[in-house]
Amino acid sequence: MMATVQRYVWAGVLMVWGVVLSYFYFSGRVGSYLHPAFHIWTAASGIALVLMAAGMLFLPQAEDPCPAGECLHTPERKTLWGVAITALILIGPLLVTTVVSPSQFGAAVVMNRGMADSIADLPGYKPYTEPPLPTEDGSPPQAAMQTEPAASYLPTNQAGQIKAQTVDLLYAAQEPTMREDFENKEVELIGQFMPAKSNNPKGDRFNLVRMFVMCCAADARPVAVTVQTAQAAKLPEMSWIKVTGKATFPVEAGRSVPVVVADSVTPTDAPPESFIY
Amino acid sequence: MPVPWFTFSFSDFSYAFLSVLLEGVPFILLGTLLSGLIDQFLPSRVMMRFLPRNPFLGVCVSAGMGMLFPMCECGIVPVIRRLMNKGLPVSNAVAYMLAAPIVNPIVALSTWAAFRGQNAAEFTILRLGTGYFVAVLVALAVYNLPIGSVLKTGVMAVTGGGVSDGRGPAGFFARISAALRVAVSDFLDVMVYFIFGVAISSLFSTGVNQAVILPLALNDWLATFSLMGFAMILSLCSTSDAFIAATFVAFPGVAKLAFMVLGPMVDLKLLFIYSAVFKKRFVLGLAVGIFVLVGLICVRLSVLKL
Repeated sequence: MMATVQRYVWAGVLMVWGVVLSYFYFSGRVGSYLHPAFHIWTAASGIALVLMAAGMLFLPQAEDPCPAGECLHTPERKTLWGVAITALILIGPLLVTTVVSPSQFGAAVVMNRGMADSIADLPGYKPYTEPPLPTEDGSPPQAAMQTEPAASYLPTNQAGQIKAQTVDLLYAAQEPTMREDFENKEVELIGQFMPAKSNNPKGDRFNLVRMFVMCCAADARPVAVTVQTAQAAKLPEMSWIKVTGKATFPVEAGRSVPVVVADSVTPTDAPPESFIY
Repeated sequence: MPVPWFTFSFSDFSYAFLSVLLEGVPFILLGTLLSGLIDQFLPSRVMMRFLPRNPFLGVCVSAGMGMLFPMCECGIVPVIRRLMNKGLPVSNAVAYMLAAPIVNPIVALSTWAAFRGQNAAEFTILRLGTGYFVAVLVALAVYNLPIGSVLKTGVMAVTGGGVSDGRGPAGFFARISAALRVAVSDFLDVMVYFIFGVAISSLFSTGVNQAVILPLALNDWLATFSLMGFAMILSLCSTSDAFIAATFVAFPGVAKLAFMVLGPMVDLKLLFIYSAVFKKRFVLGLAVGIFVLVGLICVRLSVLKL
């Protein structure tokens, strides 16, 4: 009797997990949680868990594979209360967080993790290296032949402004060659608003933040670019905004920092890809 | 106004919690499915054929057997008990028990995936290499111990006696059903620990002001041993712990490495599981020895600047 109850409960738990994982994939919500490389794994797991639940219900049942006391596989030795509590632990937090989770971090996490305002603070950054010297016969090296004007590879909006990411400007601050592509050019950036609590003596600056993700939202690093406006911007923290203006790279505290001198700051919808990778 | 050392936001917590769950579940599922299939379809005599009779070589090969026969740490103790019943030397069994949860293709894949963009290849190689090295060293030490000080009396009575497993139902579908049952059992058990681990790490990664722990994270010794203590408490599965280690952004690479090497060998739940086969005094010595060994090796590896 107890074994049958458990079989149905465990099958139900697997089914809930399978349905929730499948929902995240097929609704596209997974894009707000994981790097694209992991999306397909979510779908495969969801389907596999549903199939396992079906297998638990319809395949002929085998005997307990583990001798008593040797391992953690002790389903038949649990009481009804034990089964109920285990099932609650397994599906309760999943369902509650699925309903409650806002699919983006709030300002507290940005403050706790600190904003990366230098590209060297991000994982995977490789310092700039000098291009190779010309070859012996005087022909230019391969890397040099690949150089082309910035206008040909940087995307622009209808007004001709470069559609940049916060991380592009951090790279540009660090790399002199890349800086030429952006310095004193009109740019458009989309990000989340955070007040500037330091380096803001006149009160006319704020931070434009994007989350830089390697695997999932839990490892997200806030990446910030300073935006300077004619008058102090008053917007809700972490609300999505579009900034257009001129990219500048003044030297502050001994290093080049990206500062966008804004022409306009307007609220906007979150982009389809809320992370940058 | 200074940021407080701890700020709890349930929405931030739930977002981080859910993202790690979604990321880790596929790897736990893959590991437990494989574990179930191996449990039902791989006779223990097949493993025995691979092992050389020389004790040193036997230990070295046993420590690498996880690459062919991967097992997670939760399910490995029954397996080594069955293998010891078939005549596998205790030192070989300990080598396999400690190494297989780390030195296996699923863990290699999950570690690489979790650290992509953060020296993934280096972390994966060092994790598997350090795990293998520690397992071999410990197993060689066990080889020199009298068997009576290692195994529980009841286990020792049947070890090496050629006792048959006497398990495994006949018929393909019955075996598939049994494999599924093992896999589901493993999956649900591991998920309970994983959910608690993810909850604690999400609380830590969203609530704690990273500037407060920065002094701890800046010192390799403090960072390494504190994350090792954390690994023991969290008791995570080796197929998923890399995803949690990768979220400790403020900590140095060697501390994350120590977290990932120690956890699958010694944690709170494993102390209980090991006690089913080994004497309590041996389990305690094993835990202390591995803790110190992993810590010293990983701190030494700080020269690599991961």
